[in-house]
Amino acid sequence: MKVIVDRVRCEGHGLCEEAAPQMFQLDDEGELMVLQDAEPVPAEQIEAVADAARTCPVGALRVES
Amino acid sequence: MNTTIRRSSIDLYTDEAVLAPYGPYRELRDLGPAVWLEAHEVWAVARYDDVYAALHDHETFASGTGVGLSEDLNKVMAGSTIASDPPYHDHIRSVVGRPLTPRALRKHREDVQRRADELVDRLVALGEFDGVTDFAQAFPLGLVPDLLGWPEEGREHFLAWAAAGFNALGPMNERATAGFADLQGMLGYLNEMSVPGRLCPGSWGAQLVDAAGDGTITREILPTLLGDYLTPSLDTTIATLSSALWLLGTHPEAFDALRADPGLIPNAFNEVIRVESPVRGFSRLLTEDHEIGGVKLPEGSRALLLYASANRDERRWANPEVFDVRRADAAGHVGFGHGVHGCVGQGLARLEGHSLLGALVRKVRRIEVGDAVWRPHNTIHGIAKLPAVFHAA
Ligand code: HEM
Ligand code: SF4
Repeated sequence: MKVIVDRVRCEGHGLCEEAAPQMFQLDDEGELMVLQDAEPVPAEQIEAVADAARTCPVGALRVES
Repeated sequence: MNTTIRRSSIDLYTDEAVLAPYGPYRELRDLGPAVWLEAHEVWAVARYDDVYAALHDHETFASGTGVGLSEDLNKVMAGSTIASDPPYHDHIRSVVGRPLTPRALRKHREDVQRRADELVDRLVALGEFDGVTDFAQAFPLGLVPDLLGWPEEGREHFLAWAAAGFNALGPMNERATAGFADLQGMLGYLNEMSVPGRLCPGSWGAQLVDAAGDGTITREILPTLLGDYLTPSLDTTIATLSSALWLLGTHPEAFDALRADPGLIPNAFNEVIRVESPVRGFSRLLTEDHEIGGVKLPEGSRALLLYASANRDERRWANPEVFDVRRADAAGHVGFGHGVHGCVGQGLARLEGHSLLGALVRKVRRIEVGDAVWRPHNTIHGIAKLPAVFHAA
């Protein structure tokens, strides 16, 4: 599975960070950082990342298999 | 597969259904994934999964012809952020949304918190007050118009205009037509405010006027986009804050939990929006034939996505009617919509809500509320009157 961050849509709401804290983090500027490989997403992160993509309120995260 | 059309004579816009909507929502959810509402000639989509899927399929469920129920009003809204489709939508959203991202809002945090502290101090000292006018309205009215840069004169109309604008998104009933004069007034005001120099220099509104000056957006669309800041920025937040006060007043154990652990505040704010969703729903136009769980929705028909029903769908939530500030998945609500049209103002709404709740848990020991009188309104679910007392901590 891979995860794609749409940088134009991402507004920094940070809900992905709560769902997958080991994968996503907002830096001090509020810019989204991806902390681990996005492609492929590490096996133990797959569930959390799928959750984050579902929760992002503006549809800025897309997962593809 | 079951392909019979589910129809229903449920009218979601009677006084009764507007004031007590949860019974009718449940009936619609139980009838099927999409139910033809004879009274309004629209498909009601009332279950969470189907609402979510529609919100994330903007190509099939289009917003460009408006998101209300009456085609006349939909025409008036055309070109606004909410009534548009990508790629145009993405462009104007990035302009309208620039000052509204959590990142851009950071510099206002301290100021907003200070205003929240002051308001709560004032109300604690006051004794009995009205939870709607003195709390839920007073806070955003004292903040948002300044951020947007509107001049003082004219502000006294904002609440009436917002109420009229949201009523007009429902069917053309008495509530909607009663607001037409207000809407005319608002459109005139927005045209006036589009003239460079009217809005406070440097404000969010003035930045939008500048964007029209340098060609980032067209001059023709400027009044409409200024309207994106005016109508949705007050009434929705006010409904949320009044519901928050009522819920915390009627659930002292929840308020105690927040006092003991203020870290729960963001979740509690989401839970308020989930359980008393301030926006009942918006519509979409089907751009092609589409099936939802075996029900065929033809191209050209309208679907009413009922966010407030989705947020209480027992297929999605455990004990959906229970207000639980610790609910683990409260952030999954669709009370701000979701996907490409997901509320662009949610960062500001959260900033306002978190600041006020933060002030409450520090300064108030117990919130006492009297009987809530709910507002009869086509789109907004909120309280009209709520006697309240803050007992000092
Ligand atoms: C608790 C408060 C609020 C609630 C419940 C709320 C609710 C919503 C909902 C449900 C939508 C989705 C529209 C759709 O699905 O078609 C939306 C969009 C929008 N909201 Fe909010 N809103 C709130 C606060 C605000 C504020 C403070 C602002 C402005 C400063 C704002 C501006 C907008 C705009 C411009 C859109 C259109 C976004 C787009 O289409 O891309 N809202 N809001
Ligand atoms: S939840 Fe979505 S918008 Fe928010 S930071 Fe994550 S990707 Fe960006």
